[in-house]
Amino acid sequence: MTASTPLATTASNGTRPQPQRQPGFHFPLAKVSFYGFCSLSYIFLLSPLVVVVGASLHRGSRYTVVKFPPEELSLYWYTQIPDAHWEALTLSFSLAFMASILACIVGIPAALGLVRSNIPVKGLFSSIFRAPLQIPSIVTGVAFLQMYYLFGDLTGIYVNGTFAGLLLGHLFVGIPYVVGTVGAVLQRFDTRLEEAALSLGAGRITTFRRVTLPVIMPGVYAGGLYAFMVSFGDVPISIFLSAPGFVTFPVELFYGMENDFNPSVLASSTLVILFSLGLLLLMQRIVGLENLLRSGGGS
Amino acid sequence: MHSLLKLSVVAAAAGVLMMSASGPAAAGDLDGQEIKVCTWGGSWRDIQRDNVVTNPGGLEERGATVTFVTGSPQDNMAKLIAARGQPVCDVIEILDATWDQMVELDFVVDELDFSLLPNAKHLADWQIGKNFTGSWFTQEGICYNAEKFAEHGIPTPTTYKDLIHPKLEGLIQIPDITSGGGLANFGGIVKAAGGDENNVKPGLDLINAMNVKKFWKRGSEGVTLLENGDIWALISHVGWCMRGHKAGQTYLKFVHPIIDDEHVGVNKFGFLSIVKNSPMEVRAAAHAYINGYLDEETQFQMSSRAGTIPVNVNAQARLAQDPVLAEMAVLDAEGIAKEYRVRYKGIDITTWNDQWNRAVTQ
Repeated sequence: MTASTPLATTASNGTRPQPQRQPGFHFPLAKVSFYGFCSLSYIFLLSPLVVVVGASLHRGSRYTVVKFPPEELSLYWYTQIPDAHWEALTLSFSLAFMASILACIVGIPAALGLVRSNIPVKGLFSSIFRAPLQIPSIVTGVAFLQMYYLFGDLTGIYVNGTFAGLLLGHLFVGIPYVVGTVGAVLQRFDTRLEEAALSLGAGRITTFRRVTLPVIMPGVYAGGLYAFMVSFGDVPISIFLSAPGFVTFPVELFYGMENDFNPSVLASSTLVILFSLGLLLLMQRIVGLENLLRSGGGS
Repeated sequence: MHSLLKLSVVAAAAGVLMMSASGPAAAGDLDGQEIKVCTWGGSWRDIQRDNVVTNPGGLEERGATVTFVTGSPQDNMAKLIAARGQPVCDVIEILDATWDQMVELDFVVDELDFSLLPNAKHLADWQIGKNFTGSWFTQEGICYNAEKFAEHGIPTPTTYKDLIHPKLEGLIQIPDITSGGGLANFGGIVKAAGGDENNVKPGLDLINAMNVKKFWKRGSEGVTLLENGDIWALISHVGWCMRGHKAGQTYLKFVHPIIDDEHVGVNKFGFLSIVKNSPMEVRAAAHAYINGYLDEETQFQMSSRAGTIPVNVNAQARLAQDPVLAEMAVLDAEGIAKEYRVRYKGIDITTWNDQWNRAVTQ
């Protein structure tokens, strides 16, 4: 305990000062309990991932069960990942990447419009942009498929069963995340920065590019990351919009496990877990996870 | 020289005759035909691809292109409905529980040309109709840990009621009604408990009396729990028990439960059909696909790997050589005929689900 601690100091008038209440925990037991509870909660939440990674290293026979902890360590099942998994993984990465980029391209102007405009039906537009999050994904999938067929009947252009068809469905659910996170940053945006740039002779586009965009980038990164994750993990929409040659990784796993169990599923899932961790670390290096959180990413 | 010429002409004529006699299986006879097949994914699709499409003499060699639209029959039916009659696929695999719904949608299944399905003659009568052929069936029953049962003095079960045992409380897993085998097993339990398709309450009471630990959505959950010792008995199809046994869970045994005086064991079965709006230009390839699926080798491979029972009787006989399946499955015609098949026609499955949700989750 240092001399500056309230309990150790005495006021100049000689009276013992009232101990000032510091934020946080005052009782070690409460502090330990709190951190212990948090740690256990995280361990509990992360334990399925540990089981998947651990079980993927078990060298079992052809038909087997999830074996954890592994009895015989081996990378055997990593060599048995079927081509269909690799193809599906490639498709899912491409799809999620494209969906997140397009979600940013659509979502940033949408967020700017929603936050800064004074149109009377702003609330309605805001609800429309949030709607994809409130509609069950399975309904979205069926609705998109029906719309594609209807559109095809009318125009002769059928996008169902194509990459573009899948992308549109994933974009639909990705946009609200970008609108939400960018909108949250814009709410706290100091518009005097833009006014300064404009008064110094910068045009609107230059101001947006050199001032606005750098400030809202944490929100863009956060929204883009969420859009990527939502797209990459989606099953209900992809079930309806996938087609021969366009089966996403989660759908491939979902149907692959319906009638059989092959531990190569655990191996390919482990690779995805490692990729996701790598992506988070990359985001941490580029923008800092604390910035993502500050941007209202979870809202 | 003259006789040599005659011999050559005769030989050439014989060659032409032999080639034409080989008929639809000739290389290139399906040139340019592209078909889509609605079926499950994963190994289920892979076995079909390896034995019907890419195998020597398979559809690929004959010039056809086959792609797979993966999904459960329910998902694929939803796709067909959403497509408003357009052929999402040309060949579709359907489960018994969804068959009647498919037929009611008059745009789904079309009549088959059995002259293009020579392998259909190896199927039992009940597995053939004007717009379907059987593709496989499962034998549902009780997979149990024989060592645990013996260790704790629990008698070998002969029917579902035998699972109501104080030492088995919380050690049984059965399929959720929404899972692949859920309806067939529930139907079997209902029948064994004295109910029928229109009165499922006795079955629900029996399930509640079993004190089930968990309801599975994927059969792999069950074999994992058996391996971990979390459950001692699993209601599933024989295939999961067989896979576990072959993976080293040699303590697993399978019982085909007595349902009533006439029935022992429960079936769930799959059908193959051609989608009604499938273009006529690809019908030959679609029939060739179904015929290839019914081939003895395909049926044998599928059963050896997935534990389903082949509909091709020759494959059934061959399967008896697999020691694990021979012990666990019923492969003789008389035994198969005794197995109980739920009559789904007229059943409101939604009502079954509602009753299940109200009673079982209490």
